[in-house]
Amino acid sequence: MNQPDKKESGKGLNASRRRFLKLGLAGAGVAAVAAGGVTAIKRMEGIRHDEFPLPVRDDFKRIDQRNQINVFANSKALNDKHSERNRSFNAQLKKENPQGFKEFHFYETRHVFMQGPYRDAVGHSQLERALAVAGFSSARQQLGGGSMEAPNTGVSSWKQEMLAKDKYQFNSPGEAALAIKSAARLFGALRCGITKRDERWDYEPLYDAAIERELSWEKDFPFEPKTVIVILAEMDYHAMASAPSWMQDGTVGDAYAHAIKIAGQLTIFLRQLGYQAVASMNDMGVNAPYAIAAGLGEGARNGSIITPKQGPRIRISKVYTDFELVEYDKPRTFGVASFCLNCKRCADSCPSKAITFDAQSWEPTYSSDPDYIWHASRGVLKFHNDAKKCAKFWIDNDGSCGNCIASCPYNKPDFWHHRLVDAQNVIAPGPVHAFMREMDIFFGYGKVDDPARVRKFWKMGAKI
Amino acid sequence: MMDFIWYILGVLTGAVAYSLYLISKKTTLNWLLWSGLIAGSSLILFSIAWVVGSVLEGVPRAASMGILLFGLSGVIMLTLTARMVASQKDKVQ
Repeated sequence: MNQPDKKESGKGLNASRRRFLKLGLAGAGVAAVAAGGVTAIKRMEGIRHDEFPLPVRDDFKRIDQRNQINVFANSKALNDKHSERNRSFNAQLKKENPQGFKEFHFYETRHVFMQGPYRDAVGHSQLERALAVAGFSSARQQLGGGSMEAPNTGVSSWKQEMLAKDKYQFNSPGEAALAIKSAARLFGALRCGITKRDERWDYEPLYDAAIERELSWEKDFPFEPKTVIVILAEMDYHAMASAPSWMQDGTVGDAYAHAIKIAGQLTIFLRQLGYQAVASMNDMGVNAPYAIAAGLGEGARNGSIITPKQGPRIRISKVYTDFELVEYDKPRTFGVASFCLNCKRCADSCPSKAITFDAQSWEPTYSSDPDYIWHASRGVLKFHNDAKKCAKFWIDNDGSCGNCIASCPYNKPDFWHHRLVDAQNVIAPGPVHAFMREMDIFFGYGKVDDPARVRKFWKMGAKI
Repeated sequence: MMDFIWYILGVLTGAVAYSLYLISKKTTLNWLLWSGLIAGSSLILFSIAWVVGSVLEGVPRAASMGILLFGLSGVIMLTLTARMVASQKDKVQ
């Protein structure tokens, strides 16, 4: 009688063990998925670094603002002084396209930029030109009619007006950082980061092409900057999707206007707290490395920075201040460098082939001729692009381009499924990135030169 | 709009979970069939969310690709699993 009982109880024991094992496996599965999710979310917030995340060689030299492509293009004096630059570029253009070659001159073409006749093409009509000019009008007004690269003009004036006599004392650097960022949020910043001033990213010397004058940090600038506050302003997804139409200039100009407005207001905020401050758009220092240092994004193949959510669809402004008792942000990486290495969608969509297909390098890979690579920053391990070709396309297009922003797989509207793909991209290895690039095309994202995008934009007004 | 869709998806997810509970009460399935049922219904729910998101952001091609890749895979998986469950039942009877 006892024997069957033992068997029965043995069977029961085995069944409960199996059940326990199954439950354990299911629990482990759920835990693994949860751990994966938590890891992805953490990685999406970025891995924090104590040092600047891009390797910089000891022989890296600060960039002369006269060698900044737009400053050079806007300056008659620099074009006259460096005729070899136009000559060398023309030689390259002729070599690449002997039949279709037309003489190009940076200054002579640039000073009539965005003033050419309307075209019989969708996105290049009077309607889009009006949007582009109106988009830029506010930024130009704020900058006293100057270009985005001009220092010491309009709201980015170096005069320390409205400077309070008493210096406000924060209880801690953390409180100071939070106050500055809260003010930036109020003024409309998409994101704001604070970093220590790093002379490597400041132009030396500074140059104002409008008055053809060199400016010195020591003699002309009113104070020694200690801190740089970096501000991001978002560009409109739908206008940018129309690239390279004139329409996208509307959002570029509008984002510039927002960026400089916020920087100008933060400048006054700091001066009212008793600290000296100067707003800066594309002058004084290179925006991308400062934004990287402030933890706002990661350097991308197309030369801009890629931020979480908006990708490269942002404009950057800065505030230089002598206030230094503030908590600095740390640079963060989000897996963008690895993605860019495999994706190359911006390089594919670049109409002038200015964007490199090569991996990150210390020097430009498109040429080693000093007369040709005069604008390049050497000694940083990054993607080196030929800014001259980009500038020439702007002239040919009679408006800027934006293809590299519109086609980037990180440039998406803020919808949940894109955040899911972002999360996947930060934890996936390189070959998956190449697959995700193909899927991005397959799903219909990032198409450029598409008249349907222009028509769609003009219907967006029905939603407000 | 998306908030309303999340609500609907929550209700649908609850309905799917309850259906799976009822199935577990009525019949005994092996791990393969359970995986098929859970993965198939999850893919269909995912495709609904994907399609609505894509339509709302104005990218119809992404919506149709979502139906093709996620929705269709979910339907195929559920159909195959249902047939396997049916044949298992037939064998038992």
